Amino acid sequence: MVPFITGRAIAGNQMISNFLSGMFGLEVLYSCVIIICSLMIYYATKEMYELSSYKGIKYFRQAFLFFAIAYFFRSFIKLVLIYFNAEGILEFSPRIFGVFTLFIFMYFSFMAIFYLLYSVMWKKWNGNSRKIYLFHILAFVVSTIIISLRNPFIYLGLNFFLLIIIVFIVYTAYKSTKNKTKGHNLYAVYLLLFIFWILNILNVLIPRFFQNLQLLIYLASSGIFLMILYKVLKKVGN
Amino acid sequence: MVKRGKLEIMRDILKLIKENKNFIKPTPLLRKSGLSSTGFKEYYSELLKRNLIREITDKNQDKQVVLTERGFRFLERYNSIIDFIEDFDL
Repeated sequence: MVPFITGRAIAGNQMISNFLSGMFGLEVLYSCVIIICSLMIYYATKEMYELSSYKGIKYFRQAFLFFAIAYFFRSFIKLVLIYFNAEGILEFSPRIFGVFTLFIFMYFSFMAIFYLLYSVMWKKWNGNSRKIYLFHILAFVVSTIIISLRNPFIYLGLNFFLLIIIVFIVYTAYKSTKNKTKGHNLYAVYLLLFIFWILNILNVLIPRFFQNLQLLIYLASSGIFLMILYKVLKKVGN
Repeated sequence: MVKRGKLEIMRDILKLIKENKNFIKPTPLLRKSGLSSTGFKEYYSELLKRNLIREITDKNQDKQVVLTERGFRFLERYNSIIDFIEDFDL
């Protein structure tokens, strides 16, 4: 006798097979690597900050804490998309759930980048901590614009605009840095981190855009975080 | 003369206390630190606030300054903190 299979059961099987597919495993593994790396950087530098109360270390640590939070929400969004077989989080229903998660993800993403940037720039900007509030406002406004307009291409444009500003600031910082040999690798790593971060966010907003390059983006991003973690642990262990 | 950084000045003050068998009066500490009276007061209260030093009273009822466990740890970790700051250009 042929078993009776309902449409719902087929959809359920589809979800399970999606869940068990390589995509799910890859997402979980990738997110775990980044979240663990970020939290390890955050906790490894805890004592250094507590002893010195040095602002640069504070901003550096906060950047990685924000990376961990942002990646947590990023993986959450990706898992929701995989689970419900949805095309993009902006089209996801119930909409309020998708919009809220995406907003948190966007906000922490921007703050992570801004804090990392500020950790190298705060002295050059005369230690003016008011800029931090400006960054919070900027992150809030940009995230709100993206959520309200629901257009990934506006997001793409905004990010490229931000990337140009960041490249300019990092280049200026590199030019004024005293220790060029030490600074050179660091600024290159930070630039790569910014670029791959944007690609990662694009990957969340327009999943089809990078379908074939996903593995490459994941490997490169993990490599950058592991490299920073290695550098941090080497220094902290000394 | 090269201007000392904030962390370096804090290290120097803590080092002075340590080198004096972890027991020194505030006035000789001020003299040896090479700071102005106002500058020294600022650093001194910051070190107290951060729990890197503490004040005790000796048997002659004189105020003495000693390093806390945290103060010793700061001296131990100072080089790696500076190395970290320089390496990441923080």
